Amino acid sequence: MAVPYHVLKVCGEVVFAARGSTIYSFNSSLECISAWKCDVKPKAVTGGWGAEPSPAAEGPPAKRRRVAADQAPAVEEGQAAPESETPEKGNRRKKGSNFVQKSKPSDRPFVQGLYNTSDGCHLVAITGSDKTIWVFEHDGAGHLTQLSQRMMPKRPCSLAITSDNKTILSADKFGDVFALPLIFSEDPSDLKDVTNSPSSAAATPNTNSRSSTPTTTSKKPFQPQANEFTIHTKRNLKALENQKLSLTLKNTGKLADANFEHTLLLGHVSMLTAVLVAARGPRQYIITADRDEHIRVSRGSMSQAHIIEGFCLGHDDFVSTMSIPAGRPEILVSGGGDDDLFVWDWAAGKLLSRTNILERVQKLVPETSRIAVRHLFTCRPQEAADGPTWVFAICERVPALFCYELKEGSLHHVQTIPTPGNPLDIDYLKPVASVSAPRILLAVDPDISGDGTGRGGPSLLVLSWEPASASGGWHLASGGSQGPSGDEEKKGEQEGEDEISNQELQRILYTTETLRKTIMDDE
Amino acid sequence: MVDSKKDKRQKREEYRAALHQDDTTELPRKKFYRQRAHANPFSDHQLIYPPSPDQMDWSLMYPAYVVEDDKPADSEDTAMAAPGAETEAQSSDELVSSTEPKRLSKEVEVADIGCGFGGLLIALAPVMPDTLILGLEIRVSVTQYVVDRIKALRAQNELAPESNPNSYNNIACLRANTMKFLPNFFRKFQLSRIFICFPDPHFKARKHKQRIVSPTLNSEYAYALRPGGIVYTITDVPDLHHWMVQHFDAHRSFERVSDEDQNADPCVAIMRTETEEGKKVERHSGQKYVACFRRLEDPPFEEAEAEAEAEKKVEE
Repeated sequence: MAVPYHVLKVCGEVVFAARGSTIYSFNSSLECISAWKCDVKPKAVTGGWGAEPSPAAEGPPAKRRRVAADQAPAVEEGQAAPESETPEKGNRRKKGSNFVQKSKPSDRPFVQGLYNTSDGCHLVAITGSDKTIWVFEHDGAGHLTQLSQRMMPKRPCSLAITSDNKTILSADKFGDVFALPLIFSEDPSDLKDVTNSPSSAAATPNTNSRSSTPTTTSKKPFQPQANEFTIHTKRNLKALENQKLSLTLKNTGKLADANFEHTLLLGHVSMLTAVLVAARGPRQYIITADRDEHIRVSRGSMSQAHIIEGFCLGHDDFVSTMSIPAGRPEILVSGGGDDDLFVWDWAAGKLLSRTNILERVQKLVPETSRIAVRHLFTCRPQEAADGPTWVFAICERVPALFCYELKEGSLHHVQTIPTPGNPLDIDYLKPVASVSAPRILLAVDPDISGDGTGRGGPSLLVLSWEPASASGGWHLASGGSQGPSGDEEKKGEQEGEDEISNQELQRILYTTETLRKTIMDDE
Repeated sequence: MVDSKKDKRQKREEYRAALHQDDTTELPRKKFYRQRAHANPFSDHQLIYPPSPDQMDWSLMYPAYVVEDDKPADSEDTAMAAPGAETEAQSSDELVSSTEPKRLSKEVEVADIGCGFGGLLIALAPVMPDTLILGLEIRVSVTQYVVDRIKALRAQNELAPESNPNSYNNIACLRANTMKFLPNFFRKFQLSRIFICFPDPHFKARKHKQRIVSPTLNSEYAYALRPGGIVYTITDVPDLHHWMVQHFDAHRSFERVSDEDQNADPCVAIMRTETEEGKKVERHSGQKYVACFRRLEDPPFEEAEAEAEAEKKVEE
């Protein structure tokens, strides 16, 4: 099954496009320059977490972890000894191994996001199932040199790079935002214990996320927190006894903690979906969006990120994507599970307008009853400083691109552009000498039906803005730029890297709708 | 076994239905409202909450404080909603109104997070008669118990004000997951006091993330609390006490209240003795650990150096 390109990042003249676990680079005429393939070998522990996430240092494993097939045995070996001690833990191990088996095929780390520094010198990628953040040096001509790979404690959902290009902010599935230095130093003197260094202890109350106990306690051996006075039921007393028992049994080696600097800045009790760095004058902010309808605005400096300045509240369903238009730094556009796109004055937490996009989708696909906005992308053609600010919306599994123009505080529909595939990602192509019209690069899944029959069509499309033509607006560019070409790319295909079932591919490519809540009937 | 379970549920339903039928002054009985002590704060409960604090309709919960609107169109509704309409507030969508909600003469200022069976609320009501106090509880039945209890207390006061001098009009309870939705109910700096009494200790290390006090959640408490506001914590679990102290101490929006000030605060004494858990701990002759934290003023906004320098240059 051919995997379509699903993540794009334009970096100066170079286009990076990810397909599966490979990042390709193209020149402006979409000729392939190079390819980098995510290494899934177990040596991927450079700067990673050990065989276990840190909470395990305290007691039972915090969570079953997805591990790549070839990593699984190692992990199980590591767990087998302490885990077979008590019957209760034995059960958990069984579950864990089932889980590994089940998830085996999907463990290929797909590239989930590509980000570049504003100077274009570095490219940062997230891969999904292995929770890894990769940093590359970019020579400006499409060649990448891998600098570091860091395995995060939880799966990163979205990244932002601070305006000084020194720090990566990683928003994870668990609700936390961590700050990591862009350049990861392996110098041991730099690998200070983050929690204990005075500067960063001042910077955050507790560098360990709430997933783990504070380092101060993890230094000393695990102590049961309950005593006979605080618990009364038979079951709890039994559990306490087990805890004490396992304490005496458990003196196995200390489990590895993340051995790179990462500082907890802030967190939601919800899955984070997007993080942005924003500025008003000299003031920097961090904007985070979550699955529980919140958009939070926090102070942006590392030492003040714990101060919440405000919220943009009004979404009725999950928020999945946000964008701050170039040239309009006071504006935030957001979308998600709602029928509308939202425009905010984010610093004031004020809703400026809502624009129904479901209606637009229904004009194209009448039976649509709800939508999940997958991606919002804003751009402003550079050659016209006073030109329009465009907002493009991609709705999951809708084969069209919705183009709006931002005027004042509201969105005005410009054009609905039907596409020969479901759009997955979008970026703005810098104008080149030969083409003066604004151009948009679009990654699509040509298999609209979702049954795997449509794959094989072009996956990279170029749209150009032709206001002068008869039906003025965005047009699919014709000819050779319909899809990329190049030996490297073909090589990737020949390697048959993407033996993946259609069902699985669907699950990896289309994740936005899964953010919608399935309400449990509880009492 | 199955039969007896059925019986229990049936009895429960019958009891509650009877209680709701007439304007009873009889206090509800806890045994019909018992519920498992733990709720998973991460799951998607069937919760009702406003998209933002502006859209929260408090009028059904605090009918005595509703401002009679100047707008004639709304006044009818207000009059209808006022007497005894608070009963089913928890289970109806009216809690979150789509139109402009009715205004109260004052805002909720005190929140009891995880109010349980409402002992603290009821004890605080006469101590702060002019302050609106809200209990938040994640368990449905327990919330309903507190709602019924407040309703009965209000009715008692109406019938015989001499023997029941407290109106209990200033307290209310609502079902909420505060770990997720606190900012949906309260504006920035709205609260002066937050009580966190005998929270679920979550003994297991892998459940620590579910604790109600954490570095990141403390930021949300700081957001809702005005500078000078107090977070009160009490627990019978020493390690949880240390956990809470450690995390509030480390959070730069809070400072620990001195023992002197703490002991002088009447709320602390009430919290020790009046919460249901507090009483239970006393029965088991357990220890109680109290810690209070004051919300500090936010420091000046730390501005990006490079750009601040650039601005300076422009000024020069």
